[in-house]
Amino acid sequence: MNRTLQAFIRKELVQTLRDVRMRALLFGAPIIQMTIFGLALSTEIKNIKLAAFSQAGDAMFERVTEGFYASGWFARVVYTPGADPFELIASGRADAVLIAPAGGLRRSAERGGGKMQLLVDASNATKARAVEAYAKNIISAAAVREYGARGEPALKFDVRVLYNPAMESSMFLVPGVMGMLVCLITIILTAMSLTREREMGTFETIVSAPLSNTEVLLGKTVPYILLGLVDAALVVTAGYLIFGVPVRGPLWQLALASLVFVVNTVSIGTFISTVSKNQQQAMLGGFMFLFPAILMSGVMYPVENMPKAVIAVAYLDPLMYFVRLLRNIMLKGGDTQVFWTNLGALALMAVFAAGFAYKRFRQTLN
Amino acid sequence: MSASPVLEVKGLSIKFGDFTAVDNVSFSVNRGEIFGFLGANGAGKTTTIRMLCGLLVPTSGSAQVGGLGFEDGGLGIKKIVGYMSQKFTLYNDLTVGENLEFASGLRKLEPAYAEERRKELFSLIGFSRPLSTMVVSLPGGVKQELALAAAMLHDPEIIFLDEPTSGVAPASRARFWSLIRKITALGKTVIVTTHYMDEAEQCGRIALMRTGRLIALGSPEELKKSAFPGPMAELDFKGAEAAGFISGLEKASGLLELSPHGMRWHAAFEDRAAMDAALSGLPQGVCAALIKPSLEDVFIRLVEGTER
Repeated sequence: MNRTLQAFIRKELVQTLRDVRMRALLFGAPIIQMTIFGLALSTEIKNIKLAAFSQAGDAMFERVTEGFYASGWFARVVYTPGADPFELIASGRADAVLIAPAGGLRRSAERGGGKMQLLVDASNATKARAVEAYAKNIISAAAVREYGARGEPALKFDVRVLYNPAMESSMFLVPGVMGMLVCLITIILTAMSLTREREMGTFETIVSAPLSNTEVLLGKTVPYILLGLVDAALVVTAGYLIFGVPVRGPLWQLALASLVFVVNTVSIGTFISTVSKNQQQAMLGGFMFLFPAILMSGVMYPVENMPKAVIAVAYLDPLMYFVRLLRNIMLKGGDTQVFWTNLGALALMAVFAAGFAYKRFRQTLN
Repeated sequence: MSASPVLEVKGLSIKFGDFTAVDNVSFSVNRGEIFGFLGANGAGKTTTIRMLCGLLVPTSGSAQVGGLGFEDGGLGIKKIVGYMSQKFTLYNDLTVGENLEFASGLRKLEPAYAEERRKELFSLIGFSRPLSTMVVSLPGGVKQELALAAAMLHDPEIIFLDEPTSGVAPASRARFWSLIRKITALGKTVIVTTHYMDEAEQCGRIALMRTGRLIALGSPEELKKSAFPGPMAELDFKGAEAAGFISGLEKASGLLELSPHGMRWHAAFEDRAAMDAALSGLPQGVCAALIKPSLEDVFIRLVEGTER
């Protein structure tokens, strides 16, 4: 490897790793944030407020609802007769409402339907997911009780998810958080390190050496690409060890996606440094990019639910592609078409981001 | 000292948009010379030096630095010069050894060669602390000496020092200047900018700059002679009322320059006769002494005088 690049890598690593705050940002923050996010999602949901609606004398439906309340997950909601089930959920007095079919559950089941309706408040997606899973178990257990081991004829239920049709699985959040952390750390580190050199004046010494612009730019960015990759590996490992989030797809996909993504973020960090006069501005600039990037990435809120104009902008968000790639690789085993499509988009953005950063960087040199 | 120029500058100018930072500057510097740039902030000293280090490409004019021009955008020049900028050139959060390693990496020096140079330079600057010393813990003077060593690792012919002693204690400044003399004794050429008049006195020749132009060039003695061909008197009023006499003196014929220096005044005249006539009415108790003009007087006359 080029002697200058080696010198840069050694210097940047020593400077970054010697600084307690940088060490904390690199290694402490990812694990702490991962743990907080992970714990917040994996907590078992209890005390789900359930209201049951039926016509008088529907004994079978009564037994099914008793099953719900006996499970320990659901709490009974008492309502005045004639209340509107939707109103109960809208007002927050109920998280879910179970409605018996007209004419009674037994009659409906024996005619081949047996279909109850379950209204679920999915403004909290995690809770909604839990309600659906619990309901499925409780109702199939009820069917076995009523009709014997085969559970025939089946009791079914029809879920109507309110407020959040694209119910995100909780597992989805860990890869999202991973993408978010790698994004945050690489952008902030790159922007800060370049701006610090300019602010202190040490940059003058670097540019007075007989180096090409490319060598200077690579020297200041490659170390952070490496640190970004180390951080990505750290977060994947933490996700696996702490929460058992698997990596079902091939590791090379994960490494390649991370590399292409980090080239994007380091380029963005470089660009931010070219428009910042000091480290505070660089930090602020970093967050000005990060907040919208994270909000539009689908880490927390599904992109599909956003207004069309926002979706259009989200397609320019490298983090969105990276989060998709991570979810695809880690949870779904790395579907080839999804992988290459998103990686292609990300690589295209990397080329533009790196080219633009290089151009800006060269302008600020002269 | 051989008189072969290592640096030849002809009509050098640089513009940033509409602003002309350096305007038609010409001079040449000989091998082994200590060449000083004197001027106020914004006079164009740093910009001139940055061009001669290959960091900026001039808008017009030519410069031959060690026989090299700007045909390759300054890359060749960068190889043969050493440059110590006026800000931090060492990393406070790295050790002495790490700083030098990075400096030699920037110049792609062979590790064995860099190590040999480091030892030579350490004995030159008299540095004996361990390599593992953090730079932040070094005194300001030592830091600057070390920065000089870092700028000389690749054994440059010409060394540019931009205000190398600003913010350094007086004793350390003297040490640094004896170091500069040692370096030129080795046949290197040193080009230095400074704000300190006592440092400028130590230069072989001085280039005086004002608003991007070179307004005077010569040895300290030559500059004094050309600025003040006649005698200079120092008037000490010893606390007596001076305003009346001074306002009269300002109108005296043959007066070249009248400037306050603390409690005293310096008055320069075209010749002896003019001085005698002007000072004949000196009030009782006021001392007038014939003095040699200092570079500060030259600076005031040439740089600030023209702005009035």
